[in-house]
Amino acid sequence: MISRRELLKLPSLAALAPSFSAFADLLAAPDYRIDIAPVTIDLSPRHKLKTTAYNGQVPGALLRLKENQPVTIEVANHTDRPEVVHWHGLFVPADVDGAMEEGTPPIAANSTARFTFTPRPSGFRWYHTHTMAMNDFTRAQYGGQHGFLMIDPRDNPARYDQEFFLALHDWDGHLLASDDGAMNPSYAVATINGKAMGSGEPLRVKQGQRILLHILNSSPTEVHWIALAGHSFRVVALDGNPVPSPQWVPMLRLAPAERICALVEMNNPGVWVLGEVRKHVQALGMAVAVEYENRSDTARWEQPPDLIWNYEQFAGTQSTEPSTEPPTIVPLRFESKFRGHGAMEAWLINGNSYPNARVAPLIHGQRYRLQFINNSLDAHPLHLHRHSFELRSLGAPLVGPPDASPRDIRGIIKDVVLVDAQTRAEVEFTANNPGATLFHCHQQNHMDLGLMMLFDYA
Amino acid sequence: MPERLTYEGCKRLSILLALAFLPMLASAQANYEIQVYGAETVPPQSLMVELHSNFTVEGEKATIDGVYPTNHQEHETIELTKGLNEWSEVGFYIFTSEQDGHGVQWVGDHIRPRVRVPESWGWPVGVSLSTEIGFQRSAYSTDTWTWEIRPIIDKSVGRWYFAVNPALERTLHGPDVNQGLGFAPSAKISYDFTRVVSGGLEWYADYGAIGNISPVHNQQQQVFVVTDLNVSPLWEINIGVGIGATAATDHLIVKAILGRRFDWSRHSPID
Repeated sequence: MISRRELLKLPSLAALAPSFSAFADLLAAPDYRIDIAPVTIDLSPRHKLKTTAYNGQVPGALLRLKENQPVTIEVANHTDRPEVVHWHGLFVPADVDGAMEEGTPPIAANSTARFTFTPRPSGFRWYHTHTMAMNDFTRAQYGGQHGFLMIDPRDNPARYDQEFFLALHDWDGHLLASDDGAMNPSYAVATINGKAMGSGEPLRVKQGQRILLHILNSSPTEVHWIALAGHSFRVVALDGNPVPSPQWVPMLRLAPAERICALVEMNNPGVWVLGEVRKHVQALGMAVAVEYENRSDTARWEQPPDLIWNYEQFAGTQSTEPSTEPPTIVPLRFESKFRGHGAMEAWLINGNSYPNARVAPLIHGQRYRLQFINNSLDAHPLHLHRHSFELRSLGAPLVGPPDASPRDIRGIIKDVVLVDAQTRAEVEFTANNPGATLFHCHQQNHMDLGLMMLFDYA
Repeated sequence: MPERLTYEGCKRLSILLALAFLPMLASAQANYEIQVYGAETVPPQSLMVELHSNFTVEGEKATIDGVYPTNHQEHETIELTKGLNEWSEVGFYIFTSEQDGHGVQWVGDHIRPRVRVPESWGWPVGVSLSTEIGFQRSAYSTDTWTWEIRPIIDKSVGRWYFAVNPALERTLHGPDVNQGLGFAPSAKISYDFTRVVSGGLEWYADYGAIGNISPVHNQQQQVFVVTDLNVSPLWEINIGVGIGATAATDHLIVKAILGRRFDWSRHSPID
């Protein structure tokens, strides 16, 4: 079958473009197809779960796209409710970004839609549903609708012999009272690539290899800490963007929607556990064996004594977009609204929940500094659609005397940042992709209950 | 035509009725721990220390069958509850009473193991089951050894909280030993006005023996207006005023529960 791209390459037809483009879209086969449908998955021999997934698998198929090369993806929604697929981390127009709040049309129940866009920038991205779950912990990001999206760059960020894509996910949630006086989701099972420890295939490696791990935290609400016993990680990219100062670290921390690309030198033969550092989460299943060739020992775990992570260690000395003009400051204060000890809290940005939270429209080309003032008792993984931002400062406490002025961070480009409770963080971005731009906490229950805002362009 | 009851006849009948029912009433009128239980158990490696302070503003004024009157009795109960694991605990009570003419007296002790449906089961309501056995001195209860089994069901929905404790009681030693199982339910409904302040009603009843339910005026029926102050996960504060609706119930009681959780578990971030 001829592809849409090949069809458009024919000289006589190309002359009629773009008027013919829509017709070609209909005739040509899409580059990829995603089927959204109910599925029953085996997380472990003890945990069978009904969920909704992409192409019958969790995580969905790895989509490898080429940077700046247009692609058409057909999405068939076999469920009985509207769906939308968000291309997380891509600079695409609002009408295909995959957020109904931005104007992307929903894919009606039992119907099919095509999305054509030019993927950029290169790097490790992902695709996932962008619907609401509210109190239904089987829907939206609580389910299995997530997959890897790799936008292949011209140059790989690091030399490697083998790569693995790993998705961390939490399943079978229920509400549990927490110390902040409200209810929060708690989970029965935690998996890597949809399998609890011992239920899936190990990662098979050879001595002397450099493996590149692309790790995604697709959890609806949970931050995860990952270590590989007997080995260290060299972090080369955060959220798919190469870091200025790659570092060797003993463990990785990923907030919901964050991605980390890390190299591992396979120089310690054996069978090792790659898994959650916190014992109670690993006990729920979040681990996988890493098996050297010709080794069949029992997978070995070495418990790290503490949790260690900070973004700043990967910073450089130069800003990615040095500017002589000071950026426009946009303060965003996050607070919770108590709704009873038997309910999840509602969330406010500058005193209002979505859709009433508003700021002044963005001016195309203007540099902005978003001040995240987290006045709540929860950490928030904050995500900006269709743009990336540069981390500028993190961790300044809101209460009590500050220990020291927060360090000025430069060069770390991300699309999600975890802002700890009762702290302030700052990021900068350039308004260079006109159209409605959604900003929200990537914790599903926080997003559902108001921690979301739309930036408009002037 | 029936013969008219004389004053003396009425008096004799009253005494007979009182003698017949007061042992049961005395045992039901404990008022040392006035609390509707929630399903949650104390976490492992934690100890909950509670002080229950109950003052009977208006109660029984006569010494009956050797049991001191409850009027103006101040009951101080220390409750120590130790979490065993994620789904069980054991509680221990020390009951005391202070009253003019009697001073501060030790009343008795109870022990109360409890198990719950683990949170990981994801049940839509909280469910636990406690059983309590103990001794109280005959000066404070004619039934000296008693046993209780108490199913506990609770649920928080938004700002509302509901709890039901349909408890069954049994006298092991005392006048009511042949009475069989008694039915003593309690329930609570409260509303979260703010994150800290909740207010609601607690209801306590004792219907007497199952299969031989007492007449209404011999039942215990109490309703408390209460407030819970959720100042911290470490503290429990419950204050209430209760009215007895039947002749067999103390008419006015003021109660307070002050609890503090002590936690000696290692709070390592990796656990």
